[in-house]
Amino acid sequence: MTMLMTAPQLVESWARIAAEAPAPAARAVDAVKIHGRGNTVVRALDGVTVELEHNRFTAIMGPSGSGKSTLLHCLAGLDTLTSGHVYVGDKDLGDLSERALTRLRRDRLGFIFQAYNLLPTLTAAENITLPLALAGRRADPLWLELVVDVVGLSDRLNHRPSELSGGEQLRVAAARALVSRPEIIFADEPTGSLDSRAGSSLLCFLRRAVDDFGQTIVMVTHDPVAASYADRIVFLADGRVVDEMLEPSVERAVEHMKHLGS
Amino acid sequence: MARLVRAALTHAGRLFGIALAVTLAVGLVSGTFILTDTIASAFQAATVSPNSTSDIVVRATAGFTAQANSLPEREPLPESLLARVAAVPGIQALWPTVQGYAAMIDKAGKSIAPDGLPTIGTSWAPGDVLDAGRAPRPGEVAIDTTTARRYHLHLGDNIRILFQGGEQSFTIAGVLRRSVDVVAATKATFDPDTATHWLGQKGQINAIAVKAQPGSTPAAIRARINAILPPRFEAVTAHQVADEAAQSWTKSLAFLSPALLLLAGVALVVGALLIANTFSILVGQRTRELGLLRALGASPAQLRRLVLAEATAVGLSASLAGIAIGFGAAHGMLALIRGAGLAVPASSVVFRARSALAGVICGVTVTMVAAFLPARRATLVSPVAALNGRETRDDLVRAHRIGPGAAATLTGAVLLAAGSLHALPTIVASAVGAGAILIGLALLLPVLAGPAASLISAPLVRLFGQPASLARQNAVRNPRRTAATAAALMIGIGLVGVIAIVTASMKASATKAVRETLRADLVVMTNGSAGSSGGLPASVAERLRHTPEVGVVSEIRAGQWGLGDATETLLAIDPATVTRMHEVDAASTAAVRRLDDTGVLVRDTVAEHHGWRIGDLVPMTFARTGTRRLPIRGLFSTMAVRTDYVISLESFAANYAQPLTLVVDVKLAKGFTPGTAEANVRKVMSDLPVAKVMDRSQLLASQQAQIDKYLSPVAALLGLSVLIGLLGIANALALSIHERTRELGLLRAVGMARSQLRSMIRCEAVVIAAFGSLLGLGLAVGFGWACVTAVRDLGVTELVLPVGQLGILVGAATAAGLLAAIVPARRAANLQVLDALGDSR
Repeated sequence: MTMLMTAPQLVESWARIAAEAPAPAARAVDAVKIHGRGNTVVRALDGVTVELEHNRFTAIMGPSGSGKSTLLHCLAGLDTLTSGHVYVGDKDLGDLSERALTRLRRDRLGFIFQAYNLLPTLTAAENITLPLALAGRRADPLWLELVVDVVGLSDRLNHRPSELSGGEQLRVAAARALVSRPEIIFADEPTGSLDSRAGSSLLCFLRRAVDDFGQTIVMVTHDPVAASYADRIVFLADGRVVDEMLEPSVERAVEHMKHLGS
Repeated sequence: MARLVRAALTHAGRLFGIALAVTLAVGLVSGTFILTDTIASAFQAATVSPNSTSDIVVRATAGFTAQANSLPEREPLPESLLARVAAVPGIQALWPTVQGYAAMIDKAGKSIAPDGLPTIGTSWAPGDVLDAGRAPRPGEVAIDTTTARRYHLHLGDNIRILFQGGEQSFTIAGVLRRSVDVVAATKATFDPDTATHWLGQKGQINAIAVKAQPGSTPAAIRARINAILPPRFEAVTAHQVADEAAQSWTKSLAFLSPALLLLAGVALVVGALLIANTFSILVGQRTRELGLLRALGASPAQLRRLVLAEATAVGLSASLAGIAIGFGAAHGMLALIRGAGLAVPASSVVFRARSALAGVICGVTVTMVAAFLPARRATLVSPVAALNGRETRDDLVRAHRIGPGAAATLTGAVLLAAGSLHALPTIVASAVGAGAILIGLALLLPVLAGPAASLISAPLVRLFGQPASLARQNAVRNPRRTAATAAALMIGIGLVGVIAIVTASMKASATKAVRETLRADLVVMTNGSAGSSGGLPASVAERLRHTPEVGVVSEIRAGQWGLGDATETLLAIDPATVTRMHEVDAASTAAVRRLDDTGVLVRDTVAEHHGWRIGDLVPMTFARTGTRRLPIRGLFSTMAVRTDYVISLESFAANYAQPLTLVVDVKLAKGFTPGTAEANVRKVMSDLPVAKVMDRSQLLASQQAQIDKYLSPVAALLGLSVLIGLLGIANALALSIHERTRELGLLRAVGMARSQLRSMIRCEAVVIAAFGSLLGLGLAVGFGWACVTAVRDLGVTELVLPVGQLGILVGAATAAGLLAAIVPARRAANLQVLDALGDSR
């Protein structure tokens, strides 16, 4: 990729590369995660097999304790399985050392957490480029400008997190996740602490990242409204995949969750 | 309230670091008290030793109180007094005692002369107690048990002993039980005739020991004896003699306890900084917890009490641990004192309630005072703000600190300078000045912390990239905390630096003095320290005079005398030769020329202080001859050896009983090859091992060793405060890591490697350590200059900055910051990403 490319060209080429990749972006095979010991054993994941495609926005839904956050953590290399396998691309995360996992997270994955996404000592701009700085790389200025523009933070870049609203903080986190062009962005209940307007603005941005930039996003949520922005919803209950839904709507998602809850 | 305290105790682990600092400081405080008590009691116990078989001692009265480390010299008694005392009713037995200079030569031919104390010989007294062997007969000697053990001397061994007038070989017939009724390094006891021959003067004795008849009270007999004694003689109980000796011994170690307490004070101040730091971090961390308590109805006063109760608990438990450490420290210090050659009688360590009380009061008070500000801040937490879980607000550093801070620092610097230059009363001005500088720095440091951290971390950022840059941000984000942590290290480094500067300056000054003013070819001294109460026997100078290669011999003697209530020292010189050995300025040379055998020379500044002029009479009280009025013949500003008063050797011989020589200066005769002449002199002196013949470079080396010997232990003890300072860095890092757990989790999640995390923490430690060390260096240079300037009149004429040493000090402390970071960095790197992220604090 040369600097002579314009931003749209750049995006297009990125999307093409992503789309042409043969394997799913990530998958879990017979994933089992057991917490605790003896009488207090909890099977957080009880044989989950799921594929997450490229260039798609996948939501993982389920009631509290269904194992959805655990699945996300294991897929993102933040936690390890008791048995089974998780892959990012064609890489089995179980084969990777702690060091390699760290590098994988830094170079190939992006994260948006529910809260506490930003370092208080760094400005918004510094927070956005943090993973690149840790890798000793510089951000591609055109891409950075585009991302910042899309999340609408152009005039807030030199502010520190304490000077930003909750929604702005999450958009900074989203920009950070996007700026290193990760293969997958993992989002853990990103709208959980936002009011509905700030929430929908963030979700619109995630939707756009998938549609316009060909980004792959996996989001854990229990909110049917948030899940309705996804291309596909995977339903989890008691550590198992119980159903999935394509082209979801809010009503169908709510209906489904009621069903799971009962 | 109890429930609140119990909740607070869950933070106990975090308090470990400060507890350690308090423990060390309290250890030093109570250790000092335990040591002091132990030394006092050791001597007290020894005075009640069975050695006191005599009940009463008859002796001459002392003209003045002796300085520490020695008993006053007393005039001898005429032997005729023996018969008159014997006639007093109620006496069972009495015997004369004779005492004088006697130096033992060990098997290797080296003199046995531990530092600083005289080596004495006495006549055998029926009251003497032996550990082994029997009383000495002619040709035999009994020696003290400490010396026997230390130098592996056994019954039947032959030993050479040097006296004032000669030397003789003796067979060791007995080993004396150690007693403290004489202040001496070594003691040799002879049969009465030998003792009188070598130690005394014919017809004179030093004292009469009296044993009372059974059933009679010593006090009554003492009164009866006193009634028949001529003036200037007295009878005292043996108990009193022993007490005086014990007091003198204790006094000689008296400098220890203020010095150690001063060090303990420094350690406490440094500890207080850490405590204040820790509690403000803890309060900050618990904003939400405290907010919840407030919301649930806890009053501000309750919260304040909670924090203070926590401080008390920490202070108390740390102090108790400190007392245990002090116990061990006292043992260690006692061993050090004994190792340094100061004989302290064996005794078990004495532990009084006072030692414990002092430690606990210091520890608890300091902890409470240091925790007060954070406690106040705890009460200011607004319940809503705290409950919202708002990030702990970084302490604002207000610009209005700069004005008063700079003013206080400048005023302090001016006062300190004025004090050192003697423009103002030195001690008061220097102390106030130093205090003002510290207060000023306390105000300025938080303001300086930010820019300083940026400056220091600039090269680190270039080397380590993002982690170092994050470390810089962390160091700057709470300037007050960084400042307090660095200040603790600053104090330690500053003090060690001052000692380094003073040591280097003293050495350079001594070197310069020898190089520029010493004209003698050789200098002969005892192998003990110069200025010790020991000295060279008169035979040394005598023998040198008879050596053909020696051209001129000039002796210098030293003695004590009384001026009113004060005890002063003087030097006795040979006016004809002294200026040929030591160059002094023209005015002083002229004064020396005017010195005769009846007058005295006085240092110009001393004369000015007393308002004396040439021709005025100085009332000088000598032990032997009482008070005499000596006319001032001249004023001097420089002299061969530093002193305030000078008399002639003749005058000294008339007023002092024991003509021990401090130093003999030698100029070689012309017409000999210098090398062979010197070698011959050394050969002639070789069988007088008490005398150490030194040329210029040997003299220099011995002076430097002397300076090191006194100052390096001080530097080593001050090193303890550097250690506490480093502990403070480790503590501050550990706490802020705790505080930033989620932040670290986030960093790890977005791809910070463990190694990067570790180097971030290390960089932060190095930034703080370098900040503290550099400040300490600045302080050391300033205070070092002040110290050296203040003692210029005492002969420290050169100011030397030992650049290499100071560089190593700063470098080592900065590098030690890395050590301080080991544990916190490891803990941070081992955090599980998810646990850290999920941390709900």
